[in-house]
Amino acid sequence: MGKILCATRGGAASRASQDAAIALAQERGDELIFLYVVDISFLNQTAAPLVVDVESRLEKMGRFQLAMAQERAAAQGISAGALVRRGQLRAELLAAARETEADLVLLGHPVGTEAVFDEAAIQSLATSLARESGVKVRVV
Amino acid sequence: MQRSRFAILMGLALVIIVGMAWALSPVWAQEAAVGSEQPGPGVAGRVIDPLGEPVHDADVIAVGREGQPVAETTSQGDGSFLLDLPLQDYDTLVVEIERPHYVSREIPIDPAALAELNSAQAVRLPAIELERRITPGFWVATLSFVLVLLLIALEKLHKTTAALLGVALVLGASFVGGAINPDLFIFDFERALSYVDFDVIFLVMGMMIVIAVIEETGIFQWLAYQSYRLSRGRIWLLVTILMAITSVASALLDNVTTMLLMTPISIQIALTLGMNPLALLIPEILASNVGGISTLIGTPTNILIGSYAGLGFNDFLINLTPGVLASLLGLTIFIVLRYRKSYAAAGGQLSDAMRQRLKESGRITQPAKLRKAGVIFGFMLVLFVTGDAFHLVPAVTAILGAVAMLLWVSPNIEEMLHVVDWTTLVFFIALFMAVGALQEVGLIGIIATAIGNLVGGNLVATILVLVWSAALLSGVIDNIPFAATMLPVVAYLTRTVPGAESGVLWYALSVGAAMGGNSTLIGASPNLVTAGISERAGYRITYLDFLKVGFPATIVTVIIGTIWLLIRF
Repeated sequence: MGKILCATRGGAASRASQDAAIALAQERGDELIFLYVVDISFLNQTAAPLVVDVESRLEKMGRFQLAMAQERAAAQGISAGALVRRGQLRAELLAAARETEADLVLLGHPVGTEAVFDEAAIQSLATSLARESGVKVRVV
Repeated sequence: MQRSRFAILMGLALVIIVGMAWALSPVWAQEAAVGSEQPGPGVAGRVIDPLGEPVHDADVIAVGREGQPVAETTSQGDGSFLLDLPLQDYDTLVVEIERPHYVSREIPIDPAALAELNSAQAVRLPAIELERRITPGFWVATLSFVLVLLLIALEKLHKTTAALLGVALVLGASFVGGAINPDLFIFDFERALSYVDFDVIFLVMGMMIVIAVIEETGIFQWLAYQSYRLSRGRIWLLVTILMAITSVASALLDNVTTMLLMTPISIQIALTLGMNPLALLIPEILASNVGGISTLIGTPTNILIGSYAGLGFNDFLINLTPGVLASLLGLTIFIVLRYRKSYAAAGGQLSDAMRQRLKESGRITQPAKLRKAGVIFGFMLVLFVTGDAFHLVPAVTAILGAVAMLLWVSPNIEEMLHVVDWTTLVFFIALFMAVGALQEVGLIGIIATAIGNLVGGNLVATILVLVWSAALLSGVIDNIPFAATMLPVVAYLTRTVPGAESGVLWYALSVGAAMGGNSTLIGASPNLVTAGISERAGYRITYLDFLKVGFPATIVTVIIGTIWLLIRF
């Protein structure tokens, strides 16, 4: 049995990639792990007082989002795991792929205005991730 | 831990002693000067700029027969000077005044005054006005400031880095350029530091520590969860309660902190209710920016205005809170109408497990700490309100509250020093210097004169111009540098426009700058911070999304705010 690592932010736009990951896990009989990366680099531009432990708050929010994804998987008979990491997306994806010994990493296609990456950027991320981790990366 | 606390107390004691010494030094200096005064001939006078503001550090030289200097001095902070002349027979005397960025003047002393000098008496000259001169230093300071604004608005650099770059350019021009061309000199470092308002720095720092302790308790998440529970699925009611909580929190904390606390839990509530989180987050942002106006500590712009104009906590409470409440009412009605379809379409409750998870996110994590922190914060509010009566400045109240939190609530000192956002404090320091450079070279005077001419001494016109220009400009440039730049301009208008002595123009700046931040996504820091978190949850707030709601909401709230100011004053 292999392992599929699916990076997700949650939100309506991520549901397609979550569903694809669930379907793939069902088809291959693989273990599925959803990954949420707490990346607070967007705050680097802000000089307003940041006295709040933002990472902890976002981690809690991320766990909530992953729990929703796990429920979707459970509804389709898949018991999915959840993993939250703190740091920059690319580095944490790489580290998570290695630590979980994933066979396949799934990234979502950019959808509508909600997307963080454009198509070229996501493909570039997938290529570099595959090269550096030696794990198969698929954009779904 | 004991040693850490002792070190903090010693550090604070040192700060207080140095502060008192600094505050009293002019008095000691004055006493020393009075004590050393000797009778004899002298020329006294006062140097002012075209706005009637004192000109300090001007070189004042008395030139006698054959162009020989006989005495020299520099003008003081209030523009006054006293030339101590040697006892001799004067048949001609000219007072020359020079100052970078001003046209030099020569004042010949008339024969009657010369006779007085010859009988060892002092003479007083009428106020001497120096005309402004546009120098290369003027362009360096102005363009540096524009560069800072652009870098911040376009998010090319961190705000603090951008402000520091502006100061570096100005000081570099003064020290390096000034050696090559004296007209490039703007100010020296000591003068630059004199523009830093340490009341603001200490108030912001003290409040950071206080807020850091309170936020750990989970009170805001609990409040947000309670609003979800109380609303029982009625979204319009939920939004109304959340907007009320956000605005009250913003009045007591700063807006960014409020939104950092409210955004993650609000997203979870929205997802639980099966609705797009933006329909909760954007109303909360708008309420946060409006609610913060009601108190001195609610927004950075109010802190700047309060400190510069000497306005206390009560002044904002009395003169702005009713207007803010009316604006919030208007805003809530607008939001409920604007989002009525989204609210009606919400549906699809999550499972019990997810609701339980939401409940967990919305619980008070440290009840004992909350009780203690609540008592201290309550006392702080009492001191903020009553402090005016015994000249207790808000910065001292904030520092007292911070120390009380450290001693009684006992958080980890290393953690507390870690939560003080030093980049913000450095940003304020650099900003004060950059604006000081604009004052030195005369740009502020030019803006003040232009607005003065535009409004022609009409108070209503001045209020309208200030509120609406501040509101519109705050949508495209950061409202903190904007407000900092406008402070001396508003001070001039308050002195010169009949009826403005009530202080109304300070409140007009506050209303315009803070409410204007709602018009665009880049208008205020809470907008960007919330958008960043929302994006991490998979819901992007685009510039256009925000503009569609924020701009009309700004129009609604600014109209109500303006009406309130016209009624109140």
